[in-house]
Amino acid sequence: MLVMGEVHTGLLQNSGEIPESSARDVLRLLAGETVRVSRRPIAYAVSPDRLTGVDCRLPAASQSRVRGVGTVVSRSSITGGRVVQGSSYAHVQRSGSDRRLAWSHYLARPGVIEVFGKARAEDLADGFTEDPPADCLDLGAISARFMDTVQASPLLDRRAPFKIARARLRWVARTGEPAIRLTLHSDQVRTLRIVHEGEFTPAVADLCEDLALHDWLLTALLVIIERARVGGRPGPEAAAKLAPAVDHLLHLWMPAARVDDALAPFWESLDRRPGFTRQWQSLVDRVRDQVAVNTLALLSATADAGRRRQ
Amino acid sequence: MTSVNATFGEVAAERRIASAPFSHVSIELGHLYMEDFEAGPERLREQFRRVAPWVRSVRASWQDRVPGRRARVSTCFLIDDYFSPFSTPAELVPMVLDAAAESDLTIDYLARESSCAESDGVELARLVEDRLVDDPAPETNGSRPPVKETGWLSNGARSPQVGAVQAMGKAQRWAPPVQNAKRGHSIFVDVELWDEAAGRRTWSCPFLAAVWQLLRLGLLRSEGRLPLRPVPREDAFPGDWDSLPAVVQLNPAATPFSAYTTLSVLSPRFLPVELAVRTILSQVAVDADVLRQVAARSESEGVRLEEELVDRISYVFT
Amino acid sequence: MLIFAISDKGGTGRSVTSTNIVYRHALQGNDVCYLDFDFGSPTAGAIFSVSSVARGTKTGGLHEYLRGDCAEPRRIDIWSESDREGLRIKPPGAGRLVLLPGTEGGGELATVDEEMISRCVQLFSRLEEEFDLCMVDVSAGRSFTAEMVLKATVRLPAIPFRWLVFHRWTRQHIIAADGLVTGADGLLDVGARVGHDADMLRDRIRFVRTAVLEPDAAELVGLRDEQRAWLSACDNDLRELARRHKVGRTAMLGKIPLDPVLQWREQLISDEDVLASKIANAETTAAFDDLAKKIVDDSAWEGL
Repeated sequence: MLVMGEVHTGLLQNSGEIPESSARDVLRLLAGETVRVSRRPIAYAVSPDRLTGVDCRLPAASQSRVRGVGTVVSRSSITGGRVVQGSSYAHVQRSGSDRRLAWSHYLARPGVIEVFGKARAEDLADGFTEDPPADCLDLGAISARFMDTVQASPLLDRRAPFKIARARLRWVARTGEPAIRLTLHSDQVRTLRIVHEGEFTPAVADLCEDLALHDWLLTALLVIIERARVGGRPGPEAAAKLAPAVDHLLHLWMPAARVDDALAPFWESLDRRPGFTRQWQSLVDRVRDQVAVNTLALLSATADAGRRRQ
Repeated sequence: MTSVNATFGEVAAERRIASAPFSHVSIELGHLYMEDFEAGPERLREQFRRVAPWVRSVRASWQDRVPGRRARVSTCFLIDDYFSPFSTPAELVPMVLDAAAESDLTIDYLARESSCAESDGVELARLVEDRLVDDPAPETNGSRPPVKETGWLSNGARSPQVGAVQAMGKAQRWAPPVQNAKRGHSIFVDVELWDEAAGRRTWSCPFLAAVWQLLRLGLLRSEGRLPLRPVPREDAFPGDWDSLPAVVQLNPAATPFSAYTTLSVLSPRFLPVELAVRTILSQVAVDADVLRQVAARSESEGVRLEEELVDRISYVFT
Repeated sequence: MLIFAISDKGGTGRSVTSTNIVYRHALQGNDVCYLDFDFGSPTAGAIFSVSSVARGTKTGGLHEYLRGDCAEPRRIDIWSESDREGLRIKPPGAGRLVLLPGTEGGGELATVDEEMISRCVQLFSRLEEEFDLCMVDVSAGRSFTAEMVLKATVRLPAIPFRWLVFHRWTRQHIIAADGLVTGADGLLDVGARVGHDADMLRDRIRFVRTAVLEPDAAELVGLRDEQRAWLSACDNDLRELARRHKVGRTAMLGKIPLDPVLQWREQLISDEDVLASKIANAETTAAFDDLAKKIVDDSAWEGL
């Protein structure tokens, strides 16, 4: 019927970026399972998938009671040794039975939630992307815990270079005529609706994670620039406030780095409107200009002082 | 310029899963504990006499399922060297083999129970523990971590703890435990997976038996590799259990140790243990890639496997 | 950083002082949050002038969260949700100011179980990712709440935390404040029992005197000489008592002068209250400002 997921993104709680070897240890969430790592075009490490069992209401915009039983797939990942994500999703399918079956039935279909009775995909998609009621499936809480597990690792020093809120992106994917819609809700919540051709594959979840990552980067950079109050305080102070962005964020922008070729057009269309990369680039220019102006000011002040001394 | 298709791969980013060779069925001829050993060789002979007809019948029924080809049936025998080690391989193994031979049974593989806990540095029991996905009680929506009673696993919701949560608040009343997939009434099962004394963990018998079933079903991988490979026997059996490989191949002509299905022929006194084993196994999430691999493999030779792994396990209690 | 606000007894002005400290800390440009762990009487909403949660929130309160009845506690952005006109505009350069209210009608914790501690750990750990400072109002006296946060901080060794013990400048309060820290089942005793290093914990505890009437204060101008002399003698006695109980100057982080606004209407004191309407004293806001800086100033927290 549809796939629903939620990705949480935040800053790794460590003073600097962590090397690949640490990322492997931090993400070893399952004994006997390797952490997959890729280095091009950006370091990316991902934990093995884990399952969480659920038996609960699914959010329906019509408020109709839809019960689903099954498992949610989750994983944690670290990008650039610096950004953490906790990601969960489940494939919602109609149950062949009208009552709950033995648990082994659901474990034979990892990542599938089977719903009983009459449920419409559109109704569930609307319900999930609006604010789901508290007693409904809570993918966000699961993803948040997968982030917590990473952040609580004793290998991290917890001295992050700046404070920043986690962002959450809820997404639904369905099959049909390709379309994508990203909506910004409050400061931290975004929703994404994707319609793709052919069967759902985990590559769709990869795309959502990649979009969530870049949306968070953009948000974080905006927050840092706002905090710097460029123009509202002396240049050197503002420049100092911008430094964490230069040190920790600017090099992480790598749109569609791990996105399947077939799904790349989705990224491209979002990049045309609203124009993620355009906005990012203009912010980066602003940060660099500010730092450059300040450096020039410092240099000329030093030169003046030197001349006076002569 | 025409577009160029670039392919780029990184070994560390890809997941590789070793495949196992498979028999059609793995038959466990027996499971030897110290008390059986102490009862003398007659107890063992008696056990094999009871098992033999079942082995013949299972072989025949698989032969019917794969007409024109040879049914691949392997047999195995498990010795408890974990809870109460006794005797030595040099003394015990020949005795077991002789007793089996009297009933025209061949033991293809001999395994040590302790290898289900750990062998060759791989902690199989931990590996399986990590793959437990708790059967969720109704109204489990993921908002809280699964309710766990450390070291225990159940098939439902336990009785709530009695006691007040806040000052001047209402105390909770007792309520019965409930099986999640109950039909009318509950059969609530709560299994102890392990206990710890002086920092040392002892896995429970049902838990090791669950690991043993998964090994025989060829469904476990460690870092993508097969965790246990049978080692051909040497001429003489060693004087202590630790020197014996985890799984010894006694019969050079045996079909593979792991199999699409398993059958265990057991005394009815093991019934509670096996209920516990099924409770555990129905909450083990086997790797999806491994499941697909085994399904593809069996289908390619025209064998359709049950989807749920507990349905690939059968028993004869005699 | 986590700051735990506790007091020896009720009525010390712990809540109103700690809310004013976070408010000042936010004005100084930091992202701050205030956690109302005073479960028996969650009234931080009233002090922040958010009338909808004046006595706690009906859903998503901290109490509910710790019990496991909601996945995430409710957050209230003071800059947008306060009823006070003057608070509803975020001053330029100020950081975020967020309240996590308690549960309306919640009661004191009757026990601390493992699940509550892990939820508390999860909460502190998540908030610390996004806020420069989290002020936790732990309520008065020995409580399960205090025990819970002591246990939680043992599991978060990399997150810095500090304790502020609020007390009034009277004989009974000085003795009680010392008892709360060093007495049997006091903070140090319980802290050591649950796994803190007692010496390190001691270094992370400071006292804050509230409703202090200085003998040379402007309010006392109309007093007779005899009264002033008597007050001065009392003050000296109290200093001596405080020194003996190690609640003296060195262990003191700051003091808040007696201010009618704090006594009669517990509220945040804005600059407007001092400069425009002049209902509050400049000394009071200066004291809050000073404390808001000192709580994060390491030199004020060097070993005693």
